Amino acid sequence: MNQHPSYTVLEPLMAKYPRASGSLFQAYNDIVYAQEWCDVEVVDLEKCARGAIKGRKKSSNVDMHIVPCTLSEKLSTQLLNDAFVSLGEPSEIYLATTSEDASIVYYKISTGIVKPPM
Amino acid sequence: MSADEQNSKIPLRVSNNTAYLWNVDDIAKLRSKHHICGILTGTLPHLSQQNAFLGIPLVLLPEEVVLLVENGIVVLIDDPTAHAQPNLVEIESWNNEQQALFRQQTVANEAKFAKQEQSRSLSEDAIQKRKEREERRRLAAQKLAQDVNNDNGLFSTESEPVTKEATLATPQSSIPTGTYTISIPASSEEYQWYSPHHATFSTIESAQKAGIWTYPSNLNERARCGVFRSLSEQGYFMGSGVKFGGDYLVYPGDPLRYHSHFVATVIDSPTQTLRPMEIIAHGRLGTATKKSHLLCTWDDEKKQVSYLSIEWASFG
Repeated sequence: MNQHPSYTVLEPLMAKYPRASGSLFQAYNDIVYAQEWCDVEVVDLEKCARGAIKGRKKSSNVDMHIVPCTLSEKLSTQLLNDAFVSLGEPSEIYLATTSEDASIVYYKISTGIVKPPM
Repeated sequence: MSADEQNSKIPLRVSNNTAYLWNVDDIAKLRSKHHICGILTGTLPHLSQQNAFLGIPLVLLPEEVVLLVENGIVVLIDDPTAHAQPNLVEIESWNNEQQALFRQQTVANEAKFAKQEQSRSLSEDAIQKRKEREERRRLAAQKLAQDVNNDNGLFSTESEPVTKEATLATPQSSIPTGTYTISIPASSEEYQWYSPHHATFSTIESAQKAGIWTYPSNLNERARCGVFRSLSEQGYFMGSGVKFGGDYLVYPGDPLRYHSHFVATVIDSPTQTLRPMEIIAHGRLGTATKKSHLLCTWDDEKKQVSYLSIEWASFG
């Protein structure tokens, strides 16, 4: 993993939150190399004991926030709400759930009652 | 509370920890004025699986009952206690009424039969047809008697009475035999011995103390009450969410007019364990049904609800 180009960016957060390093690594690589987002940064979410990823899609200039986790983790609504607060109260965050077979799935989580798109 | 105040509140009949509503006008009022739908649970006795035609009683969710009691819209009546033991005078009076009803029905049946007979015999065609029918029957009976005789000589003497009975057993109309229908009213209020006044409760606490109501009795039930109240106060109608994998279906208006936009799940506390797989499953199901999934978290200390909406990200 140390040889991987992403490692230099992620090393500090992976050392600080070793339990979350696997999902951070997987989500970051997917965002940068597969989704090909621009201006990708990592953010320290101390209240959630993990790092988050911030960036924007190629075709847009709206910042989007990714909070990675693994399938085996136990989350809570408290943790999700803390993530919103720590990221500066965006209208939505994307929970990226990673698994051991390298699949990753993103779900949009918004605060409040938000109607589904038509 | 005065009897007048009590009278203006809708009575819910509680039996075995479930609240029933038998009055159709009250059911309409609960729906149109208070946005509470409940479920009609009366069905057809011979086809109870059907759900195209449902009738009273209306059964309410315990959360709906708690909301309505706390808002002073309904009172709870301990129905078993409200049915007192009738005294002799009351029983005699009731019995006299029943007998009068039965006599009425029998008289009506007899009148109906007489009218049928009259109309039947008046028509000439009918007389002719009846004659032909009786002739055919007689011939058929004769033939049957002959066949039986040929088949088995031992029982030939029994065949005649059998065939005679056969012709007699086909009546041409319903001859009144003194039968009548017993009808059981849906509401007990007309019975002299039904007295709900001493068994009426206008608060949840008093009903719980009396032992006729238990909800809410733990954190999960308090959470459900809190979430239900919060959604209701925002103007939503709620229905059961079991068909969509949630606790409630949340409608922006009357379910007869709108589709629901949300499936809601109640989370008992902000620190309750939530697995990523649940979020994915809820989100997936919501997206497949054109709804959003709502995670409604109850904070038992602050007595508040916070909402998170889940939707598929459409990328990745």
